Amino acid sequence: MRKAKVLVGCLLVLWLGATALGQGPSDVVAAARREGRVVVYGSMESDIFEVVRKIYEGRYAVPVEYWRAPNTRVLDRVLTEVRTGRVGFDVVLTNAAAMKLMKRHGAFTRYASPSYEAFPRGSHDPDGVLSPAYRLTPISIVFNSRQLRPQDVPRSVLDLAEPRWRGRVLLADPTVNVIPATWLLGLRRQLGEAWRPFVERLAANSALVESVLEVAQKVIAGEYPVGVSFIKYVHLFGKEGAPLDYVRLDPVLALPSHVAVSSRAAHPAAARLFVDTLTSRAGLLALAQAGEFVLVPGVYPPIKDADKLRVLVLDEPSEEEFRRAREEFTALFRRR
Amino acid sequence: MQLGGAVSRTLAWPRAWGRADATVWIGGGVGVLLAFLTLYPTAMLFYGSLSDAPVGTLGRFTLAHYRAAYTDPATYRLMANSFVFAAGAAGLSVLLGLALAWITVRTNAPGRALFELVALAPNVLPPLLVATSWTLVLSPRIGILNLTLLRWLGLPPLNVYSLGGMVFVEGLVLTPLAFLIIAAALRAMDPSLEEAARLAGSGHLDAARRITVPLVVPAVLAAGTLNFVRAIESFDVPAVIALPAGIEVFSTKIFREALAAFPPNHNLAATYAVSQLVIAVALVLVYRRITGLSERYATITGRGYRPNVVDLGRWRYVASGAALLILGVLVVVPFLVLVYVSLLPFYEVPSWEVLGRLTGRHYAFLLQSDRAARALRVSLALALGGATLAMLLASLVAYFAVRRRGRLTGALEALSFVPWAFPGTALAIGLLWAYVQLPLPIYGTVWILLISYVTRFLPYGLRPMTATMVQVHRELEESSRVCGAGFLRTFQRVLLPLLKPGFLAGWAILFTIYVREFSTSVFLYTPRAEPVGPLLYHLWQDAQPGRMAALGVVVSLICVVVVGLARRWVGEGKTLR
Repeated sequence: MRKAKVLVGCLLVLWLGATALGQGPSDVVAAARREGRVVVYGSMESDIFEVVRKIYEGRYAVPVEYWRAPNTRVLDRVLTEVRTGRVGFDVVLTNAAAMKLMKRHGAFTRYASPSYEAFPRGSHDPDGVLSPAYRLTPISIVFNSRQLRPQDVPRSVLDLAEPRWRGRVLLADPTVNVIPATWLLGLRRQLGEAWRPFVERLAANSALVESVLEVAQKVIAGEYPVGVSFIKYVHLFGKEGAPLDYVRLDPVLALPSHVAVSSRAAHPAAARLFVDTLTSRAGLLALAQAGEFVLVPGVYPPIKDADKLRVLVLDEPSEEEFRRAREEFTALFRRR
Repeated sequence: MQLGGAVSRTLAWPRAWGRADATVWIGGGVGVLLAFLTLYPTAMLFYGSLSDAPVGTLGRFTLAHYRAAYTDPATYRLMANSFVFAAGAAGLSVLLGLALAWITVRTNAPGRALFELVALAPNVLPPLLVATSWTLVLSPRIGILNLTLLRWLGLPPLNVYSLGGMVFVEGLVLTPLAFLIIAAALRAMDPSLEEAARLAGSGHLDAARRITVPLVVPAVLAAGTLNFVRAIESFDVPAVIALPAGIEVFSTKIFREALAAFPPNHNLAATYAVSQLVIAVALVLVYRRITGLSERYATITGRGYRPNVVDLGRWRYVASGAALLILGVLVVVPFLVLVYVSLLPFYEVPSWEVLGRLTGRHYAFLLQSDRAARALRVSLALALGGATLAMLLASLVAYFAVRRRGRLTGALEALSFVPWAFPGTALAIGLLWAYVQLPLPIYGTVWILLISYVTRFLPYGLRPMTATMVQVHRELEESSRVCGAGFLRTFQRVLLPLLKPGFLAGWAILFTIYVREFSTSVFLYTPRAEPVGPLLYHLWQDAQPGRMAALGVVVSLICVVVVGLARRWVGEGKTLR
């Protein structure tokens, strides 16, 4: 049944006690060290990934090789390697839609990390392949806090359809990028019949770029006063002094992310230890400090009002839904 | 100018086969190698466009991808956009390249050596960074130039997010290639023809019109042809400018509809790439028809040559000023913006406040990062080895294509042009399809990168070699053969030294391209052998424009130094002084 799972911030998650993994079983650790390294493919920003890498390498002295790319590139690479039988990855971590597609193509093996016990039973993959959604990535309106006066800041997504924003809104291209596409489809469920006229006006007001990251960068630079992007960039760039803030939408829509072990991992022990570390309490706390919204009750990223947000986890559309959505968005956004 | 025409006919390929000497074996070997390098991935790309299965799996025949691609009316609009974009960019690049090459090679304008060195610099700047730099200069809202125009002159803003903006930036990106090809041809020109014209009473301008211009036409055509195709396949500049401008060109369509889709559709990408192949093949045929009477352009003879320098008198300072202006737009502006971005925590419009936030930490990151050091090592090794291998192969192909005119040799040149036609991403898919199936352990290693670089960029090396080979008369080669030297010895002792300007031009082009190659590498590399191009891209994707700019600056400086050293090593530098 396709209904959205509402999580009021991270408080809805029952944290069943810390499973902080001080050390994996000694035979697994020894095997991981013999394997010599672990290769991770993912879409998590490298600076955020670094915090997990430090914990892992500090504990096990096994080097991590991280290949970072947008989710569609990760998907493309993984599927190509799986189909050709030349698999180079041990672990994959990205958003749920891509992970589910890779899972269907047999990219992953079953693995139940001890860390998963700390997540609500309902969040577990029934097939035991994907991890629970260990982090959420909320999407909102971001704006340049130097360019916009407080009274000019949009208060809801519907405000972006007003004529005053014509040519001043920046979006990642929803005809190819799964993130804005999922967000817009999520809004359809919220807005009902009002959705279509809203998106038509939003399309007329918007310029497009390739990624949500580019949206944040151009808003910071002042090329566009507002855009739609990840809230975590407010922290990632804000700690450097960037004039980026976000609109406290209610609710705010978020993408879930999973991690999984390769079905043909060359370094299976090191891969399992990596998943254990990432989804451990220590790993999640470190991710939260780096700006991620993790599923640990009472733990929030250092972003103003993060604890007050009502987070709605977006349903990940199927492959077929994406195909139909692409056609619809192409008509709206690309044939003006 | 028709000397040796009869001799050339006696050396036509079919008769050479009959003699079964080393030339035949080498020619055959080059042909087989070239066919393998180009036709195999090309065939696999065609296969992909006609298959209903993704890469790595066997599929059934289908025309569904062609139906999807060519029943969409938008496809024809974007084709028109692509032609305007490519023709404009190629035209602008040839104009700027020709002006710069003429001032640098043929005049006594002060500062020529510096111009030549600086003219190479934009070729080493990754186009992604150049395009980004120009958006920061010409963005309607925050462009440095626009803000200046508005503040000081009250003028309306220029808009880089337009077709004109795309043509302008792509034209600048392509100018170094045009410059290198045309400069090599100008340098290899026989001065006695111009002297004869002047002795016969022609002025400088008249001699230039009647002698210099016709002699430089093959190089101009070569530069224009290559840059047209390069612009058609270019993705970097359109990726930065076209999407926000709402303009669709071929490469963005391929990327958007096929490669960035969820899930990616390699088959559809291959289908669109077939159109570009058709365009490029048509261009090769046109080019070969125009340059068919290659004897018209043979200007290097056994009498020795050294291009004349035109004394411009007082106008030489104007020429230097014009060159400086071109180089300012070509190099100084994007490079300064790049340096500026590399010194900021995040991009801001320049102001006194911003000066207080300048930081060198992005450069410190490069010094400390194993990943950056490894990427530089991998890319430099690929650039040095790949450029040398590709130029040796290009020399042989150019020799057979120019000297052994015939249907088979004509096919050789056409074959070598095939990789030009593909967008880097689509060709990478062809290569991926091709080498994944091959029972050789090269997929996932640095060797597949080397093979892909040589394959994809061979035409870049071949054009200057062909343009130079056309101008080397065969009487020198004949003399060597008559004296008893075999093909290899003649090639090594006679032809290669004469071809040095073209070889060097091609080597420099390839080196600078290989060091920052992105669109093919990103599909074929593994994290253990990550070159600079994908690393730059990933730094961009990782919200690290400062680190990306810093790496871009470092790579550019390395390229300038290496190319300068290479030129000095082969003695070419002396001719610039």
